[in-house]
Amino acid sequence: MIMNGHPEARARRDYILEQKRGFGRRVIGVFPAYYPRELLLSMNILPVEIWDPPLESSHANAHLQSYICSVVKQGLELILQGKCRDLDAFLFPHTCDSIQNLASIVNDYLGIEKPCYFFYHPKAPYKESSRWYYIKQLEDLALRLEKQFGPLNHHEFKKKVEQGEDLRRTIGELYRRRAEGTLGLSNVEFYRILRQVEYLHPDDFLPVLTAILKRPPDRKSKGLAVIVSGILPNPPEVLEHLDRLGINVADDDFLSCSRRLLARPAISTVPFEAMADSYFGMQPCCTKGSAIEDRLKSILDKAKSSSAKGVIFQMVKFCEPELFDVPILVEGLKAEGLATLVIDTELNQGMSGQLVTRLEAFAEMIG
Amino acid sequence: MSLARKLRYGFMKDVGAPLVMGLAGVKSRSKNIRKPDPLFGPPLKCAERLKEIMTRHYFLSRYAEGAKPVAWVTSGAPVELLRAFDFYTIYPENHGALCGAQKLGPELCAVAEEKGYHQDLCSYARIDLGVCFSGKTPVGRLPKPDLLFASNNICQTVMYWYRVLSHKWKIPLLVFDTPFNFGQISRSEINYMVMQFEEMIPVLERISGKRLDQKAFENVMRLGKESAMAWGEILAAMKTVPSPMTIFDAFVHLAPIVSLRGLPVTLDYYNILLSELKDRISKGIGAIINERKRLMWDNIAIWYKVRDFSRLFAEKGMNFVAATYTNAWAETISYMDETRPMESLAKAYSLVILNNNLDHRLNLMERLIDEYHVDGLVIHSARSCKPYSVGQYDLKRLLMERKGIPSVVIEADITDYRAYSEEQTRTRLEAFFEALEGGS
Ligand code: SF4
Ligand code: SF4
Repeated sequence: MIMNGHPEARARRDYILEQKRGFGRRVIGVFPAYYPRELLLSMNILPVEIWDPPLESSHANAHLQSYICSVVKQGLELILQGKCRDLDAFLFPHTCDSIQNLASIVNDYLGIEKPCYFFYHPKAPYKESSRWYYIKQLEDLALRLEKQFGPLNHHEFKKKVEQGEDLRRTIGELYRRRAEGTLGLSNVEFYRILRQVEYLHPDDFLPVLTAILKRPPDRKSKGLAVIVSGILPNPPEVLEHLDRLGINVADDDFLSCSRRLLARPAISTVPFEAMADSYFGMQPCCTKGSAIEDRLKSILDKAKSSSAKGVIFQMVKFCEPELFDVPILVEGLKAEGLATLVIDTELNQGMSGQLVTRLEAFAEMIG
Repeated sequence: MSLARKLRYGFMKDVGAPLVMGLAGVKSRSKNIRKPDPLFGPPLKCAERLKEIMTRHYFLSRYAEGAKPVAWVTSGAPVELLRAFDFYTIYPENHGALCGAQKLGPELCAVAEEKGYHQDLCSYARIDLGVCFSGKTPVGRLPKPDLLFASNNICQTVMYWYRVLSHKWKIPLLVFDTPFNFGQISRSEINYMVMQFEEMIPVLERISGKRLDQKAFENVMRLGKESAMAWGEILAAMKTVPSPMTIFDAFVHLAPIVSLRGLPVTLDYYNILLSELKDRISKGIGAIINERKRLMWDNIAIWYKVRDFSRLFAEKGMNFVAATYTNAWAETISYMDETRPMESLAKAYSLVILNNNLDHRLNLMERLIDEYHVDGLVIHSARSCKPYSVGQYDLKRLLMERKGIPSVVIEADITDYRAYSEEQTRTRLEAFFEALEGGS
């Protein structure tokens, strides 16, 4: 993707070009959130995720109403500004109504020459049929991808599924160390590193994480601990401000982070089965239809194990899946003595003075 | 279920409801004796009957609690399965529309908003949550459900919303998960949906205390199919020039196919409506006096503006004769087959308009434009409804390119009139009227 100017975006583009030239990798632009990463990687496809491209939204407004979230808007803007030339295809998981229709706009109406793939994941409450169907979906996606990218090498697939397990274990360790306060990374640093998962090949990403974990444990942090929840940790200025206020994000419930990057270890060693184990072993999530009480319990467990004093909900405006859960989560957390703060944020537009004040008031309250 | 409640329900059904309906009917008939309206043809006679049916439905629902298993159901859920277990069903979306038409949207939404439900959420959901928190409803009282039954074939929103209800009442939620048709439906998708039905049966047996009666199930399927076919014929009657009914009438007469699908009363009612329409056609009676232009509506109704819009357009000699929304309950009925109930339900319910890609919608709209001789298109961009609204700007552009018909986008909401601007709408409509007249 060509996004001149923005350093993070430039780093991504250089990396993608290097992957194409150096390893003959093909690149798929993937919209949020749940998709079978290991399957793509085993076909020598690098998934590059599209969450929050730092662009001024201008062209997308001709296609999307004002009440559509900025994740969808920015993603479409990226395509419309012609910044996806380096990609070989797009993949749209079925995350919410807005992404579903965005997928259809891109595939049916824009006349874009790139193939679009879709991935429907079953919605909870899960039953036997859900697992059966999930595996069928994986097999079906593999067949569709094979037509463009060549046959799936089952040996390679197994290796990538094992690597995926390794990655989840390592990220889990990173989270554990952060929750106990010995990781020694600021909030900003933690997410800057973690979010490289969105485009780095695991061959490159795993060593980054391992190096961090190899460093001797830091002195146990003395700051106040909070949990953050929402779709993604944007805008980064919120994290910066929490750093300034001496508040440590001890754990998160972000869709782009812990909800999909962590999972119970797979039981099966058969690749498709193991991938199903991971999908069904992830944390509860509104976009998958998990019961709200399960999500509440998951956040409460995180708060307990990290001694967090409060939970900050960073809401992407117009995000229905999140907005429906928040009132019950807030009520349940308050009942357990946790402070809560719900803030509306824009992906890339910094923080308003009012937001700064609210964060400061929250810090005082839990301090 | 308690015996006393069952007896009370039986009494109300056989004695109380007819009595109340009789009184209401007399009252409403005496109120409705109006002078003929110079803009419209004679009102549909069967509208009185519809009022009785829906009033009875909500009236009896108060007594259903504890007497029958009660389920709250989404408009696109395969209710036929529940009917086979004799569930009394309530449709919060239909109830939301009713509240919207009575201009109660903002008031009930505000109750949910006070509890933290954001104003950006679907207003059907906010109204429903407002009703749950406050107990307020124009129908007296809604029965507390024993089961929630949602299908995401219309949106994912219902899944989020019904989870809230499930949490509040600590009652089971059955989700019928219908994979979205980005392309063609596959065998594994059909199998997945059939497997889900099979998994639901023990839950339904437990809650209702009944075994699945295959014969009753087939009968409901047959009734459901015949009612939807009759509804399809009713809509097809609007192909006639002049059209014997307007889409604004259809929005109202849609209630039985949404809320009472699979019950004999729906089929009976649609047969009455159909014969009245045929009679009008044979006599050349149009729904509006001077039908000069024929229009299509996209998206759910703007419930609080139905009456105003109906007059505004009739004044211009413009009649709405087709809508993607009303068509949704007739569209997939050919898949229904009581000899293969599960598989046919899976297809009929997962192939509906909102569970298909936008290309499908575009093709459908092109077909409706041709078949109903449509001159122009009004697109309601409904703030509540992302699956219906995202993509409409492109639909507008493509229909202009392919069919050369003018169209207008109205930014509004289905029930929450705080999201509606009269001034902006009027300005847009004036431009649309000009474009339409220019093309004549
Ligand atoms: S932010 Fe919410 S509404 Fe937007 S794409 Fe993500 S899940 Fe969907
Ligand atoms: S209005 Fe739209 S979002 Fe709301 S329940 Fe209906 S289909 Fe779903």
